[in-house]
Amino acid sequence: MNVIVMGCGRIGTQIVIALWKEGHNVTVLDSVGESFLSLPKELQELEGATIVSDGILEEELVEAGIQDADVFVAVSNRDNRNALAAQKAKHIFNVPKVVCRVGDPERQEMYNRLGLATVSSTKVTSALILEAVLP
Amino acid sequence: MYIVVVGGGKVGFHLTRALFNAGHEVFVVDTDGKRVDELISHFGNIAIKGDGSEPSIQTAAGVARADILIATTSTDEDNLAACQLAKHLFNVPKTVTLINNPEDENLFDILGIDVIVSSTQLLLAAIEEELPAHSPAHVLPVRGNREAAAIEIPVNSGVAGKKLSEIQLPPETNIVAIVSRDGTLKPITDDTYLEAHDEVVAVTVADQAEALLEVLSREG
Repeated sequence: MNVIVMGCGRIGTQIVIALWKEGHNVTVLDSVGESFLSLPKELQELEGATIVSDGILEEELVEAGIQDADVFVAVSNRDNRNALAAQKAKHIFNVPKVVCRVGDPERQEMYNRLGLATVSSTKVTSALILEAVLP
Repeated sequence: MYIVVVGGGKVGFHLTRALFNAGHEVFVVDTDGKRVDELISHFGNIAIKGDGSEPSIQTAAGVARADILIATTSTDEDNLAACQLAKHLFNVPKTVTLINNPEDENLFDILGIDVIVSSTQLLLAAIEEELPAHSPAHVLPVRGNREAAAIEIPVNSGVAGKKLSEIQLPPETNIVAIVSRDGTLKPITDDTYLEAHDEVVAVTVADQAEALLEVLSREG
């Protein structure tokens, strides 16, 4: 699959490495070039695998190959930026599968109701911690 | 009407004043405490500090009873989030936003934002009449008070589909190359046809460059 991952923080890095090891064609975007240092050297040096971009400008998304992408994952640490990029991928570029990270649980539910697949790291993490704490 | 403004920058401030003076109830949300203080010193207790795309802040601002939410921050993603939240969590009847990147207009429209104001587009529309419809892409000064100009034939040009022999060029003007859309060179003969998107490179007298542009781009 052709996968675009927007945001190369801790979550983005995990996703990119896992998909890359599975043999998928992964392109990762981040507005800060140093973020890619968390990736394996081989991936850092792979041409076209990393692009410095905030994932908002359409020409940069096109450069990242969004027109041929099967999956778009927006996992930067900024909810609003993720939501804009993911909705662009879904409605403007018709990417078949779009997943968006939204921290705030209430907004995450709202976006889900609007048909955008979203994951709230706050909700997931707190649920896991509660599960570990409660008998 | 009750109007909530997200973003109390320059646009937000003056908008608030205009709405306030027109007798509307206005409330402003801004992340910058200084702006909030400034708004309060002018208009009374009508602003809070906070992220206008957070549900808790919209709740505090009374968005649930707002007739209109207007997003005026300088970031399109924050404006979109504020409008979507107001629309879908608080059922605000009308959402209005500024956008900075004109390409976002299409998405915002698809997503049902009611009024989208593109500052870039407004400025472009305002100056459009002042600009020539088509400018020579490149002009290079050449010896003898001449210029070399590269001009793309517009789609609606009267010379598109005409032979070179049928085109009346300004005096002392020589076409030196015609490059078609795919980058290939066309021969320069009387029987060569010009087509839309051909790029014509010509040497002309400096004060004739405008006239040449007019000949090649005038609507037919």
